[in-house]
Amino acid sequence: MSEQIEKAFQKQQGIFQNAKVAGKKSVKNNRWYKEVGLGFKTPKEAIEGHYIDKKCPFTGDVSIRGRILTGEIISTKMKRTIIIRREYLHFISKYNRYEKRHKNLAAHMSPAFIGVQQGDSVTVGQCRPLSKTVRFNVLKVQKKVVKGAKNFAKF
Amino acid sequence: MGISRDSRHKRSASGAKRAQYRKKRKFELGRQAANTKLGAKRIHEVRTRGGNRKFRAMRLDAGNFSWGSEAISRKTRIVAVVYNASNNELVRTGTLVKNAIVQIDATPFRQWYEAHYATPIGARKGKGAVKVESEEINKARSNHVQRKIESRKADAKVDPALDHQFAAGRLYACLSSRPGQSGRADGYILEGQELAFYIRKLKK
Repeated sequence: MSEQIEKAFQKQQGIFQNAKVAGKKSVKNNRWYKEVGLGFKTPKEAIEGHYIDKKCPFTGDVSIRGRILTGEIISTKMKRTIIIRREYLHFISKYNRYEKRHKNLAAHMSPAFIGVQQGDSVTVGQCRPLSKTVRFNVLKVQKKVVKGAKNFAKF
Repeated sequence: MGISRDSRHKRSASGAKRAQYRKKRKFELGRQAANTKLGAKRIHEVRTRGGNRKFRAMRLDAGNFSWGSEAISRKTRIVAVVYNASNNELVRTGTLVKNAIVQIDATPFRQWYEAHYATPIGARKGKGAVKVESEEINKARSNHVQRKIESRKADAKVDPALDHQFAAGRLYACLSSRPGQSGRADGYILEGQELAFYIRKLKK
């Protein structure tokens, strides 16, 4: 398969692939997946795909618990992880006004989400620390709607 | 020594250098790696947090390996370390770590197979005289046992890749335990796609 890029054999932990074939079951994709809960639908690509990602919330060993946040994607240049920008308003009581502030968040994005670009809105859920700065995992992507400019699309 | 596992010595996510404001704590400690080698069994016991123990295997020569598709496990001698995805140095020095590919002695599995299915495995083809079938295959059995064995024969087919390995007397296996933590080198025999993957890696 094309997903065996690394030096070690990539497989889902805990799924036995080499059971003795008695009948026709060998053709089917012997894949494990789960529902993350909280009403999030597990994407079709997660169930039918062939990718192996131990940090994927649907096919890997992470559970989603704690905060659920949303944000806008500002960078997808990292391998399987994205940076999200969350904007908020901070109130200054002296002047009775607000000021804009933002925080960036690193989140792991499963290969189940394909065709995700900068500018899309994304829902992320908290999970255990996956790396030095990543504690969130992408659960849902809402693509950016470009009004009117339906003909121009980046190649 | 002073190996610590804290993150206070690392730069923060923004790149800022964090000032040191406290000494290293005991709960952040790290210990020297085991670097388990092949050889006569030598295991050191370590007292860990909470009074619990870890068994640091310094040298190991055998482990409990499972043949997944047949659902059996046997204690076998580990012959050599053959491949390590992380570091070639570990292969050169013969270090046992989790997910290292090793060669194990095939005899306990061959003995089980011949007793369970009463058919030879790993028969060498074209090497002159046919090998004398082992006593296990031809021994006298009761009627009931004979019938049981006949009913099993339908499932007795083994993958040709495994068959080759049995002929050579050495099987490829993958370590699934952590010898420096549990003191054991247990694992599973490689089969199917995984076996094909690693054989390809070894050929290069």
